[in-house]
Amino acid sequence: MLQEWFYKNIGKVTPEVVEKWFVYNEKEPLLFNTGLFLGLFLVFYFWYILLRKANTLRMIYVIIFSLFFYYKSSGIYFLLLLGSAVVDYNLGNLVHRTSSVLNKKLCLTFSIILNLGFLGYFKYSNFLIDTWNQISQGNLKGFDVILPVGISFYTFQSISYIIEVYRKEIEPTKRFVDYLFFVSFFPQLVAGPIVRAKDFLPQIYQKLNVTQDDINRAFLLIIGGLIKKTVISDYISLNFVDRVFDLPNSYTPFENLMASYGYTIQIYCDFSGYSDMAIGVALLLGFKLPTNFRSPYKSTSITDFWRRWHISLSTWLKDFLYISVGGNRYGTFAGFLFPGLFFVGLIIWGISFSATSTIPLLIAVASTVIFAFTFLFSKEKEKTMYTNVNLMTTMLLGGLWHGASLRFIIWGALHGMALAVHKIFLEYYPPAKRKIFFITPFLKFFAIVVTFHFVAFCWIFFRAKDFTTALQIIQNIGKVTFDFNQWLTITQGYQNVFVLMFLGYFWHYIPEKVTVAIQNVFKAMPLITRAIVLGLVFWLVFATASAGPQPFIYFQF
Amino acid sequence: MNQNKSYFFQSWLIVVIAIASFIGFKTFLPRKLFPDTTANSKNVVVDSLMLEAVAEGGNLSDEDTLTNKTISFVSNPLGIKFSSEKFEQYKGYQYLIPFFEKLYQLETSKKGKARIAYFGDSMTDGDMIVQDVRTQFQSVFGGEGVGFVNITSESAGSRGSILHEFSSNWKAQSYLKTKSPLRSFGVNGSVFFAKDTVNATWVKYKAGRNRFATTLNNPTLFYGSSKNRKASLRQIFGKDTVYKKLNPISMLNTTQVADNVKNVKVNFINADSIPFYGFNFDNGKGIHVDNFSSRGNSGLPLGSLNVDLMNAFQQKLGYDLIILQFGTNVLNYGSLNYSWYERKMTSVVKHIKECFPGAAILIITTADKSTKYDMEMKSDSAVSPLVLAQKRYAVKAEAGLVNLYTLMGGDGSMVKWVENVPARANKDYTHFNHRGAKEIAQLIYKQIDTGYQEYKKLRALAKKKAKPKAVVNDSVPVVNDTVNE
Repeated sequence: MLQEWFYKNIGKVTPEVVEKWFVYNEKEPLLFNTGLFLGLFLVFYFWYILLRKANTLRMIYVIIFSLFFYYKSSGIYFLLLLGSAVVDYNLGNLVHRTSSVLNKKLCLTFSIILNLGFLGYFKYSNFLIDTWNQISQGNLKGFDVILPVGISFYTFQSISYIIEVYRKEIEPTKRFVDYLFFVSFFPQLVAGPIVRAKDFLPQIYQKLNVTQDDINRAFLLIIGGLIKKTVISDYISLNFVDRVFDLPNSYTPFENLMASYGYTIQIYCDFSGYSDMAIGVALLLGFKLPTNFRSPYKSTSITDFWRRWHISLSTWLKDFLYISVGGNRYGTFAGFLFPGLFFVGLIIWGISFSATSTIPLLIAVASTVIFAFTFLFSKEKEKTMYTNVNLMTTMLLGGLWHGASLRFIIWGALHGMALAVHKIFLEYYPPAKRKIFFITPFLKFFAIVVTFHFVAFCWIFFRAKDFTTALQIIQNIGKVTFDFNQWLTITQGYQNVFVLMFLGYFWHYIPEKVTVAIQNVFKAMPLITRAIVLGLVFWLVFATASAGPQPFIYFQF
Repeated sequence: MNQNKSYFFQSWLIVVIAIASFIGFKTFLPRKLFPDTTANSKNVVVDSLMLEAVAEGGNLSDEDTLTNKTISFVSNPLGIKFSSEKFEQYKGYQYLIPFFEKLYQLETSKKGKARIAYFGDSMTDGDMIVQDVRTQFQSVFGGEGVGFVNITSESAGSRGSILHEFSSNWKAQSYLKTKSPLRSFGVNGSVFFAKDTVNATWVKYKAGRNRFATTLNNPTLFYGSSKNRKASLRQIFGKDTVYKKLNPISMLNTTQVADNVKNVKVNFINADSIPFYGFNFDNGKGIHVDNFSSRGNSGLPLGSLNVDLMNAFQQKLGYDLIILQFGTNVLNYGSLNYSWYERKMTSVVKHIKECFPGAAILIITTADKSTKYDMEMKSDSAVSPLVLAQKRYAVKAEAGLVNLYTLMGGDGSMVKWVENVPARANKDYTHFNHRGAKEIAQLIYKQIDTGYQEYKKLRALAKKKAKPKAVVNDSVPVVNDTVNE
């Protein structure tokens, strides 16, 4: 009877199935939105609670689970995580202990080179080789490497630790176990948020504690994250966005436009949804991770956007890259190198196309001139130049951090340019000047719309598999004409997708008061009701995931 | 302190209850949030003939007489006979002999020309697959040009082998949606009319960058008969405006508009009531492959091609091989019984043979397609019965067969093609991307070429035997003996 029930609802448990639960499978990483994670977490969490007072034992227990979690998605590379933790921990101690400034610097440099070296080898070596081959017509062979999951995230965490130790913002951890716990902590291990040592380490030494409010917040984050990631993002990407981005020219201009809006909400839901789940899971364990997204598409400017989008990354970049290359105070060789390379490369690219079309050269020259104007027209030319050049460096490298491809560099460059342009705009039209009481709301609305569309435009480069595809999409969007019947038919054809997209945007744009009110309703529910709501969300995830891809639709008008 | 403990346990309890209630929900709430619907509205491209055939039903399943059977062939007049095949591995090279012979003449004498009409659905849209097959053939047997191109096409934008633009005021009728067209459909299954008297009606082609298609070779307009004698084409060459009178007197007429150019734009003046079909681009030698793809096509509409007009096309273009690659659009209709499709397609193939006398027919089966079963993407359960039906009508109608489903890897292969890094098929688990299309083209070409190589051997053997007729040689089987009775 019980066996039958178990078989029907959970599936047959054979030795092979159990083996599959615990053995690395490249295709099935242990994501938070999988049934397997839920099952494992249930067991893990139970023992975690029992061990909550045995500090060291509990930490070791979490480390083992974290390493297993990492092994499930990256296989043998969990050793890399372990190995680099050993080195970084010892270097951190060295940096702290040695009194010679030179030695401190050496240790710091060595650690950063080592961390970035691993990241570079796994993530960028083949990109560099390809680029080299293209430029020199060479035929160097690429490395046969797979990218260990989350290496971009934990590398940055390790770097934050050693720099903070160097800057004396924190003390190094007392024991290796503490450090390993920080680096390998599974909730944020594979997809962030990038937790800063100074935010996290103090929590290790505090008594483990959760409040009623923490628990409620955790479940709300998990519920929201699950819906955003699994229901909205995964569904619209599989059934609409991916198809259009695969072959944009096979679709009508309106579909191209909607795919671009679709990707804009998809990437937000995917990324912030997963972050929210990570923060929620960590909170269930009694750890508070920083907020990673604050309704970024409500931004009124591009500067505002970067204070709301992937906050843990942008603050990391600001503190460790922007400041390191000079910030808004001075210029450095490194600060000028990348923007210099970028603009020179851009112009060379423009010239190389000048035989067939003058447009690339025009774009190249125009963007260089605009960038120069952003500081030439400033009252403090030199200071603004340093600021803008350093900002550009940050955005270019920040773009590259997202993936080894030219299109991420372009995406970063667009954002860097926009930030510089916004700075000079602010100088001429400071907010105080723009305060006219009844127009202000309209201006704000206008600013949100413009910022949103700029960001959506940049996402096209981020998503399209190459530059040509991106241009095709932009070209197709340029052909959009208002045709109510056509739009209606397409909307009916992609009914589910468009409903979910609408839901995603609606959720994003409703005033915070409403969200808080809804959350309060949840918090006021009795325990059993909250649990059932969570169960209902699990079902929602399950029912969305089990729907097959929608059949292909071709429209003809 | 105690408080703290209780919150942890509370939270654990919530997870436990949530899981329990989830299992409960799973049993009595629907399994799928979004049911797999087949969208249907007047603007969605679907094959109306197929919808009717599906609606008619047709579960009259024929007796299964083919499976496990060995198919033997009758030797052709030259005495060439491919060895018998098991139904399972059926390829039917024997039926491609007329085409192989053409290839042989091309290869050995470097003279003459051969032509393929490649009919398909959205899989070959935008010249995918076909452009690679064309390049393969042309690199071996010579020939330049992309072949026959429609006047307007819904997929012009996605085609890279020729850049194609047209004014929006063409009236187009396609065998996919129109039952009784104003005039018979062309070989491409479409017919176009220039009706606008106010705005210019034009079409523009520009050569793409594919090998053997970097110029537009002898662009030639194909059109039907009409009483209209005032029609002309207007072209602008530099500062000169050139008019060419159209002469729609025969059932099928042609007018060449240029020699070898990079691009061509043609305005249609006073051209109402003339049925236009398209432009042909070829250099008059070697091999040419025309892509007649229409999104949503099941193959059944080919039955509505007009025999007389097709014969006229056959006279002018001279097809040696007709390729039919269909199937994707008949997969989504629930039933696993494809006897209706088999029956209808058998007669379609017969019809095609009447339309293009002398041409060999090659059926390419559906590719693999995946659907989600229990959270996992697997081969759609309709794929293998459909492949079987396609194999059966290939045998019945005496056509060659490329089993694309097994060629690409058989069961579960589409999932692999999609998940491959870099991807070879799109996320709809149906269509190939450019990389995948190239590979598919290679697989198809390789099979045809294997048949051709075998043909050359058999041909040499038959020639040898044909000469010393009187000598009876025990070691060589006499041709007549192996004729299947």
